[in-house]
Amino acid sequence: MDSISLELQLRRVRLALETQISHPYLEKYIPKPVIDNDKLMILTSLMNTTDLPESKKDHYIITTMLVQIALDTHDLVANQSAEQESLQYKKKRQLTVLAGDYYSGLYYYLLSKLDDVAMIHVLASAIKEINELKMVAYYNKPDTIQDWMRTVKQIESLLIQRVAEQIQGTEINTLSEEWLLMTRLTKEKQHVLSSGQSLLLDVMTRHELAQNPKKQAVQLMEGAIQKSMQKMETAVNQLPLKFHQLTTYVHDLLNEYSRKNTKVVEEG
Amino acid sequence: MKLAAAYSYLKTELNQIEKTLNETIHAKDPILREASQQLLKAGGKRIRPVFVLLAGSFGNYDFERLKTVAVSLELIHMASLVHDDVIDEAELRRGKPTVKATWDNRIAMYTGDYIFARSLEYLTGIDNPRAHRILSETVVELCIGELKQMEEKYNIDQSIRNYLRRIKRKTALLISSSSQLGAVASGATKEYETALTKYGYYVGMSYQIIDDILDFTSSSSALGKPAGGDLLQGNITLPVFFAMEDVAFKNNLRKVLAAEENLDPKDIQPFIDYIKQSDAIDRAYQVSEMYLNKAYQALQVLPDTKAKQTLTTIAKYIGKRKN
Repeated sequence: MDSISLELQLRRVRLALETQISHPYLEKYIPKPVIDNDKLMILTSLMNTTDLPESKKDHYIITTMLVQIALDTHDLVANQSAEQESLQYKKKRQLTVLAGDYYSGLYYYLLSKLDDVAMIHVLASAIKEINELKMVAYYNKPDTIQDWMRTVKQIESLLIQRVAEQIQGTEINTLSEEWLLMTRLTKEKQHVLSSGQSLLLDVMTRHELAQNPKKQAVQLMEGAIQKSMQKMETAVNQLPLKFHQLTTYVHDLLNEYSRKNTKVVEEG
Repeated sequence: MKLAAAYSYLKTELNQIEKTLNETIHAKDPILREASQQLLKAGGKRIRPVFVLLAGSFGNYDFERLKTVAVSLELIHMASLVHDDVIDEAELRRGKPTVKATWDNRIAMYTGDYIFARSLEYLTGIDNPRAHRILSETVVELCIGELKQMEEKYNIDQSIRNYLRRIKRKTALLISSSSQLGAVASGATKEYETALTKYGYYVGMSYQIIDDILDFTSSSSALGKPAGGDLLQGNITLPVFFAMEDVAFKNNLRKVLAAEENLDPKDIQPFIDYIKQSDAIDRAYQVSEMYLNKAYQALQVLPDTKAKQTLTTIAKYIGKRKN
């Protein structure tokens, strides 16, 4: 499949996913869920290495993405106490809970329509594991920040790993782990720099892991992002030929990151 | 008579289900484990597992298969309660602190997601794709029902049909799925399956209508929350629909409900008093009774067994319950 066909396929799947999650009442009060482009790309490339019929590939991508969207949506439910909430905020919180439940119900519904009990098992089992890991990442004191980052890496990549295992495409696992960690840490770093808020910062502050958590968090994340990029470079070069779409995409992505970083360094 | 007395002979099976419920949500993380089991420890009637077991007796009764279905259904119900408490900011459930009150919203979200995932994972233990089709439709309808309830709050121009569709999704479908899935898991005949599905649906409708009546007629202490709480939250239930046939009542209610979330309990009190004095409560009881009669009728095609007798007793109890 050439890059134009891939582009069309991604657009088709994205549109189908947007149709699935579209809900007029929810859209009136809460933002539309963000569809993670990296995860969509990894899943699509993964499916394209199999002999599955096109419709089944689409179903697997859409249902896995629905699970991701459901999990991400529930991460947005804030801990603010009722007294601090405005009425508008309260409604937003209530609908965010329901939206996540709804997306979660949809993945189950779509797979059950195909009688795909095996995939229901795979995705349900991944959700179970991810929620266990989230508890570790958000509430337990990590021995080191590196341990925390390892847990975050698992949270980000576990869903795709489990799907990859199911369709015998595990060669992708190392690359997706590093890729998704890099993306996550990049977002976290941006949050620290723009709003002074991030989960890593939260963990460091709550468990008193640093004297200057903000500065240290940024440094740690920059170091980890660089390391992940190096590992991605190695992993992508080791991918079997069947992942050629992804190889090209990741090389472009890494070049883009390097170009941006060089620009930032040059501009001082 | 207490409801549990009607099915006390299922004690051994229900104890095993309780044990499996506990094992199924035995998370590795200690807080997640404690949070998951908190609601379980608070007890409950386990009415969904009871319906699964009773319905399962009209086919080839295989306890292990039925247990799988019963545990999954109860877990789905529990997961939805954990998330409902985040929506309602509830501090107590069955007299015990909620997960969100003991920890926080985020832990409640993870706990609900974890329990729901365990439920589906556990149900994949039986090789029956149809069971998943039935359950998944119910799960999605349940979510749509909750969203509709939010959407239709404070809207007094909705019809009784809206209300009936809402309570079908909110309550009746999970009960009807329980009895249907009991029949499906035991390979009962299509005729029995249809009868049991209808029975569950009608009983569920009746149950919710009575719940909505009790919200007006019960004391705050019996309800564990202020009486008239549904109306205060903008939920238009069956007694309100009947009371709204009085145009003056409806017009006044429209004015008061315009305050929506800023409603004061004092503003609602006259409407509660009116509903209690009018025939709205009696008429709502009559609708509940009509559903119960349909439930009894649905049972007629089933052979006369102890399970059938128990299903009848449960329906009777639901019609007479006071809290």
